[in-house]
Amino acid sequence: MLKVYNVKKKFIKYQEKGQKKEFFANDGISFEAHEGEILGILGPNGAGKTTLLRMIAGILEPTEGFIDFDGMNYKQNELTIKSNLAYLSGNTKVYKTISAYELLKMCCDIYNVSKVEAEKRIKEISNSLEMESFLYNRIENLSTGQTQRVNIARCLIHDPKYYIFDEATSGLDIISSQIILDFIKKERNRGKIVLYSTHYMEEAENICDRVIMINKGVIIKTGTPEEIRKYTKTTNLRDAFFALIGGAKGE
Amino acid sequence: MNNLKNILKKELREMFRDTKSLAMMLIIPIMIPLLIFGMSALFESQINMPVTSYNKIGFSYELSDEEKDLASLMNIDVVEMSEDELINDYRDGLVDLYVTKEDNKYILNGEANETSSYASSLVETYFTAYKEALQADYLENNNVDSSEVLDIITIEKNLTEKDNFYASYITTYAFLFIIMAITISATYPSTDTTAGEKERGTLETLLTFPIKSQEIIIGKYLSVSLSSIITGIISLILMIVSLALVNDIFEIYKGVDLMLPTSGIIFSLVAIISYSLLISGLCIAIASKCKTFKEAQSALTPLTFISFFPSMIAFMIDIESSALLSLIPFLNFTLLFEDILAGSVNILHLSLMVISSIIVIVIVLTVIIKQYKSEKVLFAN
Repeated sequence: MLKVYNVKKKFIKYQEKGQKKEFFANDGISFEAHEGEILGILGPNGAGKTTLLRMIAGILEPTEGFIDFDGMNYKQNELTIKSNLAYLSGNTKVYKTISAYELLKMCCDIYNVSKVEAEKRIKEISNSLEMESFLYNRIENLSTGQTQRVNIARCLIHDPKYYIFDEATSGLDIISSQIILDFIKKERNRGKIVLYSTHYMEEAENICDRVIMINKGVIIKTGTPEEIRKYTKTTNLRDAFFALIGGAKGE
Repeated sequence: MNNLKNILKKELREMFRDTKSLAMMLIIPIMIPLLIFGMSALFESQINMPVTSYNKIGFSYELSDEEKDLASLMNIDVVEMSEDELINDYRDGLVDLYVTKEDNKYILNGEANETSSYASSLVETYFTAYKEALQADYLENNNVDSSEVLDIITIEKNLTEKDNFYASYITTYAFLFIIMAITISATYPSTDTTAGEKERGTLETLLTFPIKSQEIIIGKYLSVSLSSIITGIISLILMIVSLALVNDIFEIYKGVDLMLPTSGIIFSLVAIISYSLLISGLCIAIASKCKTFKEAQSALTPLTFISFFPSMIAFMIDIESSALLSLIPFLNFTLLFEDILAGSVNILHLSLMVISSIIVIVIVLTVIIKQYKSEKVLFAN
């Protein structure tokens, strides 16, 4: 189980005339994510989703609060946690001068996957993500959709327990997006914990078991999509979000 | 250790597949043979400049037969005409220099260019001979043996091999180019692997891997150092081969051995490796604080100048190495190269140079490892 408790992240904003202003991108976020669950993290751009997910992925350190992975934390078990975690964002880029095969091989070396097992996994993953036709091509020569499939393969290669997806389908065509969404559902069914951040409310409604809605760094509502719709007396999460923040101007 | 190897492998793969990185590794080394051959050819052409290309000398007064004979003896092509005509002829390139006269004062007129300089040297020799002839006549007319007065002292040239100006100039500048090549070779990959990785968005991927920040930075540092060392070694090989070739081809090096002894080559390798490790660390420390590739390149420009400056100064004003100076980064490498050329390397100075470099490298690496844990550095934007 993943526990996030009262997590805060303070940044300093530089304003005109060199003045500094402190602000909290996340201000006391708490939630739990369970095995076999896709937890959606929803909110508009600038709500604090990326900061939160970067803290959970161990790229940023919380100013306050703690993040617990089955009793482990980054201060004591950083490498063990990262060995069981995969992070993919819309902005995550991969090395362009190497081939998809070389990237996956490098990841296997980093995650200590044996050579025989690595070959087996690369074959399986490239087959399931339909990557055989471009597996040995340099990544710089691949399309955006193909590159993102390589990115997913990178996340899968070490069979992690925790998945963190931050706007992973952003800018992708419908086929590539569907491949990612199918993959996420499949991993959820294998008992993995998936955190899925998006600002596409419709997408979240289709895929997430539970969602937390964030606005201006704080959680405004947690529940299943159905619970949130009922609570806000709306028919979709988009309207529910506006109802919770008091209309479009409230955003 | 395994992850350090993985990072190093990844960095080297990227570096050797990037045409810009490869070009930066090779572009300055390739210039070393060009410099050595080019400068040697230039020196030789200056020495062997035919006298007919600078011997048309104008005189604004009428020369005596004695003066004409002396001028003829010195291959001077005498042109006699008025000063105004000579000014026009000089402007039109018909004379290489012209001489005007005020009582017993002779004035050499011309511009400070290469031809005038040679012509001036020829005319000065002519006037020295003419002055000696006048002095001898005067002494003989007063019944004094002119040879007793004029040859009261004699001068004999006995210059040893290491005093060959051309050899010293060429080898000194070849070593300066090696320093320059290493610096430039370290600048590009260190920018690409730090600020470039941030800009391309791959740093975020790297940080999610189960790798310690010190493994990431040391892997990057070793790859940049390796690139610089390869450049330094290629430069040294090209320098040695070029020196061996020009030594045989050009007359100016006759009787001089331009080849470095084996000990000189080994000491040069020590200096190259130490300098590469030092400059790579400094480049990564500066570039890793920058957000973009362009910003890193601008930030590294002063370091490039700082690295050349002590070398230029030390070569120009002939500073002698000492234990204290061997501790000063940048200057110590130049002084070691000078000692290698002079064939007198002091092992204590060499050891102090290595120790000083190691201390600076350890400090720099500690700073970079701390930087790579700082969110301000990693996510400055």
